[in-house]
Amino acid sequence: MHYANSYLEKPVVGDPNVAPRAETIKVLKCMLNTGSDIYQGACKKRGSTLKEEYKNASGTAYMDPRDMAKLGVENWDHVLVKTDYGEVVVNAARSRDAPHEGTIFICKGPWANTVVSHETYCCSDPTYKGIHATVEKTDREVLLMADLMRWVYKKYVDEEDDDVVESMESFGERPFYNGRKWEELEDHDI
Amino acid sequence: MTYEPPVTDYDYIVENCTCAFCGCNCDDLDFLVKNGHVVAVRHACRLGASKVMEDLDQRIMVPMVRNEEGVLTEVSWDEALDTAAKYIAESIRPVFYGWSETSTECMKEGLELGEYIGAVLDNQATICHGPSLQAMQNAGYPIQTLGEVKNRADVIVYSGSNAMNSHPRHLARWAAFPRGYFRQRGRFDRTVITMDPKFSDTAKCSDMWVGFEQNGDYGFYNAIRAVIKGKKLQSESVSGIPAEDIYEIVETMKNAEFGTLFFGLGLTHTLGKQRNIDIAIKMIQDLNAMSKWGLTPMRGHFNVNGFNIFMAFETGWAFGVDFCRGYGRYMLGETNTIDLLVREEPDCFLVIAADPGAHFPNGANQHLANIPVIQIDIHWGPSTELADVVLPGSFISVECGGTSYRMDGVPIWMKKAIDKPETCRDDEWIVREIKERVFKLREEPNVAPKYVPNPGLGLLEKGD
Repeated sequence: MHYANSYLEKPVVGDPNVAPRAETIKVLKCMLNTGSDIYQGACKKRGSTLKEEYKNASGTAYMDPRDMAKLGVENWDHVLVKTDYGEVVVNAARSRDAPHEGTIFICKGPWANTVVSHETYCCSDPTYKGIHATVEKTDREVLLMADLMRWVYKKYVDEEDDDVVESMESFGERPFYNGRKWEELEDHDI
Repeated sequence: MTYEPPVTDYDYIVENCTCAFCGCNCDDLDFLVKNGHVVAVRHACRLGASKVMEDLDQRIMVPMVRNEEGVLTEVSWDEALDTAAKYIAESIRPVFYGWSETSTECMKEGLELGEYIGAVLDNQATICHGPSLQAMQNAGYPIQTLGEVKNRADVIVYSGSNAMNSHPRHLARWAAFPRGYFRQRGRFDRTVITMDPKFSDTAKCSDMWVGFEQNGDYGFYNAIRAVIKGKKLQSESVSGIPAEDIYEIVETMKNAEFGTLFFGLGLTHTLGKQRNIDIAIKMIQDLNAMSKWGLTPMRGHFNVNGFNIFMAFETGWAFGVDFCRGYGRYMLGETNTIDLLVREEPDCFLVIAADPGAHFPNGANQHLANIPVIQIDIHWGPSTELADVVLPGSFISVECGGTSYRMDGVPIWMKKAIDKPETCRDDEWIVREIKERVFKLREEPNVAPKYVPNPGLGLLEKGD
């Protein structure tokens, strides 16, 4: 049966189109902004948060192509973003809103949360935008949502070591629980 | 994007449904239903359509409680509700957070429970438009409805808001493109200005883009106010915007027949916070001396405004209302969810129709790992990974009716289109059940001790 959908494995991004440099820098200092975009919104609101799609829509740092050339990263390479509040591995991709040299944009979601500021300055609202960050190229993998939540909050694991938790068996892209799944509850033929 | 043929394989159409995504609450949607599921949505934007045609893989279908190994396990409704009620009844500083994606009818039950138990009730405004609500208390609220914008507005300003990405039909249905009574040529009769450090998708389809620098909002609006009042700018540029551009923007704004400012989280999340909105509201007040201007915050969830209106009506405060002393209290930076979590105060967290796992900063969420979390939601999300009790709710406006408030404060009845899965329950029913179970577990409501006047005052009156 045909099912109209808006699934998209990866957001559409342009080609960086900047000649690679002979010399690249290791660490890029920049300003981090977070917020929503239409890919992240569509994926989150559909409820597909465990999927690879959400990882790519939300766990991606959109960068200026010149910044990407400085670091020597291509679209969908992995980068480590560090701030005073934490660190997280995300994808790098060319921003649709470039040029904005010196600024990166990560859509809101568990990945961005790991590095944004919780300071409200007594105004109820955390500072989600305008945070100083550093970006560097990395070989580490971008974690799926469930694995990231386990790695960051460790609510139901005894292990405290980040590296051990990161290399634990993945929860995968389907809900992990004991009980009936939706297919078992009714006669679903779609 | 690949081409997708139109959906022709459906049983029937439900017309004039309301979208349960953003604060635009589009009420002209048609759902195409097959075998009890919505298979296609007409007229909705990408976001609305994707929300209505949900991902059933991740639909929470059965009530669940964590077992000893920390794995969610299916239990009966009775057991799940009892566990949730026990956590709430035994807590001394519970926080009920969420409410923005459920009906106003459900909030009523939640408020009764919150008042009885002495909880903090807060909604998503605390992490998005909270500063806007504070600024309204500081400076006023010169609002107009979206219908007025459609029929009258000739200058539209988006500030710190990327409507094309977060409210995709806002430009099409209300602000920029529609033909209105006094704006017969639609887009050609309107000037759209976008103020955003980012060259966003909204900026790309605007007539003017003002890319002021990061955290430069406050200075920029002050410069605009100065020019509106006839002052001359002393420096060549303010917040990265050349002075002559500011003069030009002010000229456009002053000459508007009817102007509207839509502002988003770009203003509330940067360092100025509510002061950015203060100054934006005052700018609108200044403009009203020579033209007609109004503003509307771009509210994110379909009923986030509903909770603020409901709470302001019932308790006097719009969000972050704390009942722990037996009477309502509201103190910014003290009774708001993020501040409470960062201070590690709550000992029980009820999250209904919200996703703190996805949207709270790490520093606040860390405390959710220490305390019991009860989740009422329709989809398995980041918060489910932190939840100890999971209760499957139903989808307002698709599987369940309810009232919601649009971003401009217009209440809209969202009708039911299809039946909910048999194992799920309405949010209103779930909260009422929890409430009644908590009333049985904790017999005395949380009320302040009787007020005893200072005995010394009595002595003074007697003249002793």
